[in-house]
Amino acid sequence: MFHRSLRSRFAAGGALVLIIVGGSAALVPQKPEAAALVPAAHAPGPATVRRLSADQYRNIIHDVFGRSLDLGGYFEPDLRISGLLAVGSGKVGITPAGMEQYDAMARSIAGQVADEDHRAQMIPCAPKSADAADDACAGAFLARVGRLLYRRPLSEDQLEAYVDAAAIAARTTGDFYQGIEFSLAAMLSSPQFLFREARTVPARGSVHVLDAYAKASQLSFFLWNSGPDLLLLEAAAKGVLDRPRGLSREVDRMMESPRLEAGLRAFFTDNFGFDKITSLTKDAAIFPEFSAQVAEDAQEQTLRTILDVVLTRNADYREIFTTKKTFLTQQLGSIYRVPAISDAPNGAPDTWQEYEFAADDPRAGILTHISFTALHSPAGRGSPTLRGKALREIMMCQPVPPPPGDVPFNIINDTSNPLYRTARKRLAAHAANPVCAGCHKITDPIGLALETFDGQGKFRTTENRETLDTSGTLDGVAYQDAAGLARAVRDNPATTTCIVNRLSAYALGRATAPGEKAWVAHLQKAFADGGYRATTLMRAIAVSREFYTVSPPALEQSASAPASTGETR
Amino acid sequence: MFSYGRLSAFALGGVLLFAQSALAETRSYAVSWFTQAMNSQAGDCPDGVNLPWKEHRLKILRDYGFTGEQIEAMVQEELAGKGRSPIQAFIVMRGRMNGQPVSPYTYPATVIDPKLHYVKGAKTSYGFNLDGQEGPASFIDPDTGEKGVDNELSRALGCMREFRGSKATPPLYWEWTWGQLKSNQPAWLITIEGDDLGSDGDVTVTFDRALEHLRHNIDGSPRKDVTYRIDPDPRSHNVYAGRIEDGLVTLTAPGTAGINLLQDPLVAVMFRMTKVNMRLGMMSDDSLDVMVGGYQPWSDLYFSFAGGGAANESASTGDMPGIYYLFRRHADADPDPATGQNASISATYYMRAIPAFTAAPNLKRPTLAAR
Repeated sequence: MFHRSLRSRFAAGGALVLIIVGGSAALVPQKPEAAALVPAAHAPGPATVRRLSADQYRNIIHDVFGRSLDLGGYFEPDLRISGLLAVGSGKVGITPAGMEQYDAMARSIAGQVADEDHRAQMIPCAPKSADAADDACAGAFLARVGRLLYRRPLSEDQLEAYVDAAAIAARTTGDFYQGIEFSLAAMLSSPQFLFREARTVPARGSVHVLDAYAKASQLSFFLWNSGPDLLLLEAAAKGVLDRPRGLSREVDRMMESPRLEAGLRAFFTDNFGFDKITSLTKDAAIFPEFSAQVAEDAQEQTLRTILDVVLTRNADYREIFTTKKTFLTQQLGSIYRVPAISDAPNGAPDTWQEYEFAADDPRAGILTHISFTALHSPAGRGSPTLRGKALREIMMCQPVPPPPGDVPFNIINDTSNPLYRTARKRLAAHAANPVCAGCHKITDPIGLALETFDGQGKFRTTENRETLDTSGTLDGVAYQDAAGLARAVRDNPATTTCIVNRLSAYALGRATAPGEKAWVAHLQKAFADGGYRATTLMRAIAVSREFYTVSPPALEQSASAPASTGETR
Repeated sequence: MFSYGRLSAFALGGVLLFAQSALAETRSYAVSWFTQAMNSQAGDCPDGVNLPWKEHRLKILRDYGFTGEQIEAMVQEELAGKGRSPIQAFIVMRGRMNGQPVSPYTYPATVIDPKLHYVKGAKTSYGFNLDGQEGPASFIDPDTGEKGVDNELSRALGCMREFRGSKATPPLYWEWTWGQLKSNQPAWLITIEGDDLGSDGDVTVTFDRALEHLRHNIDGSPRKDVTYRIDPDPRSHNVYAGRIEDGLVTLTAPGTAGINLLQDPLVAVMFRMTKVNMRLGMMSDDSLDVMVGGYQPWSDLYFSFAGGGAANESASTGDMPGIYYLFRRHADADPDPATGQNASISATYYMRAIPAFTAAPNLKRPTLAAR
């Protein structure tokens, strides 16, 4: 299962590394796990093998070696599926060019770990001689970091292969630390590090469950966006995660950790498509105030706002759509036209401060943030259609079909046409084409509520000297302006359904399967009963057995049920 | 406390913003443009505009007694580009003290007066009647029609190519200088406070320096609506009583106070004038259009030029000691009791300012309850 799919997606360097580590005997399924009984109605989806995201890679390196290392290099591009990069991470491999980059990063990191500045801090033993191999010292170091990098103890074969490789390199170079460097680089280039394995064991009821270490990884990447810490690995080793009470205790510990913020940031960054904000640009002739720094700050503003609601205040998730509280930098303040101090030295990055928009301020919630209004707009103007589409798809999980290939956009793009001074009028003229009308009915009414924010997110009341009409309806609920739209989104049942679906898919690394409906319904209820607190929902996912339950491997399924349609990657 | 103001701001929330009292309205601005107010006209230099530096330096050589042949040889040597220019080598040490060459920039009085041309034909110049007199040489302000305008600085420098210009086309030197100042010094702030700035009435005008530099957009234009903290240093704090009528602010007691603003020491330690008068126009695009006149110690100005030495002289000011002599001749205030030499020269500066927020300097990341 795991072995075959992983090797097929690891194009270049994997084969070499697998030889070095001595094969893959550890990947054979192990004995059934008695504690993993799941309801008979639960028909889970397949296990996913996910490539580490760039942030996960960085987080693990920082967790294991500290923040003094320079990672350098470039990461492979991500793939968004079902609205999430986390889902796409289960479908992507590594290209030969990407493998070169991972290899370069691995060599760089290993070189820094073993260099004279870091070795005393990071390598827990001194070799008998710095000029020669020392299997005991090398083994101690490689076993310790290997457990953290692989998120499970190295098998004896793996450890022996790494120690042997280090010894050969040390003898060849006459330098113990170069031996360490070589083996560590190989470890960092291995599929066991770059991909999140999903080793499973058979459980009762014709399903499989993740083994203890895969559970630990499932949990830590979900809650912390990084690999398990030593305590979690220890809990896995002792079988604590296989017992509901033990699992619950570990989940509580992890959710009380400050590292939960990284997990929440990762989810909302993924869910809101903030990966696109790093390349967001505006026409400087039209929006000279918008810069790369503004875009970066805008993302951070929204993340801070969300974290304030869902983590700091542990409030109702839906409040993110209506909250007046936010966080600003001096640069953002100038676009929002509100006071925002930066008390950093001149030339240094702006500092952040809390801010609360006045009750009568047109801004309320994240839909009125620059990170939404500017991100979902073309370079030179706002776009009710793109904003409406984003709101439907991201906040309410309602996919909007792409436009046909031969649609003329000339009326929409001509913002200076005296016949159609406002976007509402331009879109009405555009939607006169029946081919266009269907989709625009879904997107435009809600997007037009945000027309008081121009293409860079700055407030305005007119377009081409004509007063903007921001009224509309969302699924039958009427509103007059952006604040009204925000309230309608907050109160729409699709908003809470969507976040449950997204968070569960994010946690699993795949869209939930039809046979997991009962679990999702349980999560919906837990979310509602818990006052729509995101932490309640995260905990409900993390402690549920279904989170760790997968369908049997494809080979097993095909042997027992030839007609199975289970995914066989 | 925050201060902010702009005409269109009222449309945003329908409330008065950052008023210092229940009745007062405050609007704050950051100075986004600063230049000597010039109004160069055709015919205002009947003796001719002073020569471009490249030609003028040859005149300097002639003034110092070099023959035509010697000068031509020096020019050819310079053109050959081998080693240091012999012309430049002489120019930068053309001062003579006890027969020894010295820096003409540090010791301008040791240089032969080149007798630069100055404005003789102009009737108009921006500014104010600072001394209350209307002499035959005084100007008329082209915007207000005020007579007896004292702006000898514009007369002195008005025939230097680098200082000729207008409000719309600012002098090269000041364009260069503001480029330095805005990037290297904290912003200058202007605050206007009154009961209702949309109506006629009394106001208070304050000039301060910020702790932060002026912020810019990616196209280099000054950034509106940035929040600046006011530098508590009293040396840059200036308060004037004024009156607003039809959006134009004038002082109610002109000539009774000066203006002092710390600036980039690489240009000058302080921008300062005495007996100040000013007018501040609130423009329809929310900006502020400011004319400030007064008497400025000309040595401040001279040494702000001279600090750049030969580079400034060749690139942005023209003949530096020549300017020194112009200042001495046209200075019209503060006579030295012993020598009678006036120490100050009447001057007018033009500023533009953009809407900004200002905050007390002790505010550290406050939680703000209102815009």
